[in-house]
Amino acid sequence: MSETILSVKNLAVDFKTDDGVVRAVKGVSFDIPKGKTVGLVGESGSGKSVSSLAVMGLIPNPPGEVTSGEILFDGQDLLKVSDAEMRRVRGNRISMIFQEPMTSLNPVFTVGNQICESLILHQGLDKRAAKQKAIELLDQVGIPNPSERVDSYPHEMSGGQRQRVMIAMAIACEPELLIADEPTTALDVTIQKQILELMADLQKKYGMSVLFITHDLGVIADIADDVVVMYRGDIVEKGNTEQIFQKPQHPYTKGLLACRPSLESNPQRLPMVSDFMTDEGEEIPNDIEATKGDKFVRSISEEENPIILQLKGVQKHFPLQKTLFGKVTKWVKAVDGVTLNVRKGRTLGLVGESGCGKTTLGRTVLRLIEPTGGQVIYDGKDITALDPNEMREMRKRMQIIFQDPYASLNPRMTVGAAIMEPMVIHNLGGSKAERVKMAGDLMERVGLSRMMLNRYPHEFSGGQRQRICIARALAVKPDFIICDESVSALDVSVQAQILNLLLDLQEEYGLTYIFISHDLAVVKFISDEVAVMYNGQVVEMNDAIGIYENPQHDYTKKLLSAIPKGIPKTMLQQ
Amino acid sequence: MKVASISSTAIDTKSKQDELEKGTSLWADAASRMKKKPVAVVSFWFVAFYLGLALLCALDLIFTSYSVVNNDIAYQAPTWAHWFGTDVFGRDVLARAAHGTVTSLTVGFFGAGIAMFIGTFFGAIGGYFGGKIDDLVVWLYTTVDTIPGILLVVSFSFVMGPSLKTVCLAIGLTAWVGHCRIIRGEYIKHRDQDYVQGAAALGAGHIRRIFLHILPNVFHLILINFSLGFVGAIKSEVILSFLGLGVEPGTPSWGVMINDAKQELFRGVWWGLAAATIFMFFLVLAVNLFNSELRDALDPKLKNK
Repeated sequence: MSETILSVKNLAVDFKTDDGVVRAVKGVSFDIPKGKTVGLVGESGSGKSVSSLAVMGLIPNPPGEVTSGEILFDGQDLLKVSDAEMRRVRGNRISMIFQEPMTSLNPVFTVGNQICESLILHQGLDKRAAKQKAIELLDQVGIPNPSERVDSYPHEMSGGQRQRVMIAMAIACEPELLIADEPTTALDVTIQKQILELMADLQKKYGMSVLFITHDLGVIADIADDVVVMYRGDIVEKGNTEQIFQKPQHPYTKGLLACRPSLESNPQRLPMVSDFMTDEGEEIPNDIEATKGDKFVRSISEEENPIILQLKGVQKHFPLQKTLFGKVTKWVKAVDGVTLNVRKGRTLGLVGESGCGKTTLGRTVLRLIEPTGGQVIYDGKDITALDPNEMREMRKRMQIIFQDPYASLNPRMTVGAAIMEPMVIHNLGGSKAERVKMAGDLMERVGLSRMMLNRYPHEFSGGQRQRICIARALAVKPDFIICDESVSALDVSVQAQILNLLLDLQEEYGLTYIFISHDLAVVKFISDEVAVMYNGQVVEMNDAIGIYENPQHDYTKKLLSAIPKGIPKTMLQQ
Repeated sequence: MKVASISSTAIDTKSKQDELEKGTSLWADAASRMKKKPVAVVSFWFVAFYLGLALLCALDLIFTSYSVVNNDIAYQAPTWAHWFGTDVFGRDVLARAAHGTVTSLTVGFFGAGIAMFIGTFFGAIGGYFGGKIDDLVVWLYTTVDTIPGILLVVSFSFVMGPSLKTVCLAIGLTAWVGHCRIIRGEYIKHRDQDYVQGAAALGAGHIRRIFLHILPNVFHLILINFSLGFVGAIKSEVILSFLGLGVEPGTPSWGVMINDAKQELFRGVWWGLAAATIFMFFLVLAVNLFNSELRDALDPKLKNK
């Protein structure tokens, strides 16, 4: 059984950049046994995707170059074979699924055409036979009405269906090795669950080996037999999944496992990788079990936490179709009558899957999008009725932090200018010198150096940029902040830091948050109360513990059951 | 690709100093990349040379003999005294071509400048506000666009009489359409981006968002379009002068020189045409090459290539 299909030995990959040569992968070795799933885990920049591209022979050269190592596939070194031979292996014996189902299918061809392509190319089938096979494949990956859907175009399918089509393409030639690069990261949890189950089924059926690349340890626990943990281009730990989850050896693995918020416990603060390991990689002794099983709950009292924000039947309908005379005949009801209360100094979590209207609701509350109905009452004032001047005053009190720290900072402004801009708009801090001082203080408050004020956004990492966005939101001394998926784009270890920072700031300034996210574990950790949104409506609202332990609505139950537990199946059975 | 994230972590590890760190703006970054390209550097110096030449001519410091009439030496072939010979009035052709640079660069700067100003303004407000304002802007530029450009320019010149000012205005008031279209598209793209929404959430008004936030982010396009329009304006001036609708008679201009060559070529007088063409060729080539390098340096998508 211990036959090995792929064996990577001492692989090193360099990239040439303007700042010199960067070694992305520093001599890694791992094996993939036949018929097994190996999970390759790591955060952005850890070299996990580069390793997998090297296996496929897809490292762009220039700027990349494989400088040493062997990639033995079925005994043959893939680094030595000719381009023509490699093309015969690629897509035929090794195939790949990518992260983004929206962009990895060609929009101008039908899905049938795209599946047929590799069948005709590698298996020498004629057109009719290939189409027949494509229909069978679509049936296998669970697309309803495969004989009709085979002629659909990618845009006619949902994200989950597109990922199914990608899988159908990948397994079309019955490959021996399937490389899946974050195949479920862009999908909602309920869809993710279906796709993972499908992949497990197909693997059993075809006896494939799978290299599953992800940043999500929860997913790995569900699907992998073996785990390889990468950190800054090196493998820090590898072994059996159960062993890694139960007795992680390397401090980085320990930190990574501990810093994920989970549904089982509710610690006051999240452990961080820095609690386990110094920047230089030295271990800090720390008990990984310390925070497990914590059930920390903040008290809510009428006097200290009065209701500060009330939503009354808030609606946002977008016109979809108009008649010739401008009469709207079809609406998209993005937000359809939401009524909510938010308490001062506390956090309301807003969860839901993509398209449920949670982001639109957040922006409607701040009137970045004008609501089409209902009232938003903040501290006794109906925001929807304010004139532009009053609204500008109000913006001092209500702020928002967006999801993508890359898009939410103006790339042509220094971060200092970005943080000082709200002070200029609202006339805070009398002189420029005073504003620079205030901005410096804010930078230090969010954990950055005040020496960095003159730098530009592109000179910071994602986590640092999100800290800058937080500093900017704090510049007007608000008392209410909407966090719109503010940690979704970040690595788990960075996510833990930012979540802890948000909690500290809440404590310090008495802030009120609405925390919007698709990640139920994160919402559970940070929120006092949680509202679940579905199709533009709030279907359930309860305190954070209650909603997870005692879900009422069917949709909430479905959502909760779809979350990967982060515990290997073999351990669950014990 | 992972390449971008790798290089950004490389920057993170830079040493922390005690004094305020200086950031590298995207502009400085582009400039440093331009400096590494020989084509960019050479074309830049060519353009600079033309600018210097035009300045010295405009101040009457060099080639002062351009309007000295001496009928005794009319249509003299190139000699060591007159490198490009003399014209019908015995004036030095090289001096006239050099002074033609002043005319061309003036038209280039002001023609393209006016077009950029109008195009950017309308494109920005149309794209940013959308709705009725956008409808109006689109109506305006499609209407201007339906009339053949050269016809408009010609009619302008007829109405206002030939002069350098007319040429600049005529080119500026017609050439803004394409530019407006591009800027409008960019504003539509940028207005819904998070950083603009974020500015709105901070209480920034429309003017601030249009000019302080979005404008710097589309400015590289304005710059590229300006240099394209610059070449276009120079060529338009030559064509207008060729049609006899350009600058006032007597003003040195490459277009006028080429126009004169119509009759002169019969008599074997080729040097007037040659001088004007050579001067124009190198200027247009240099600006075009510089423009293409500029575009590469400013395009974020081509970074790290």
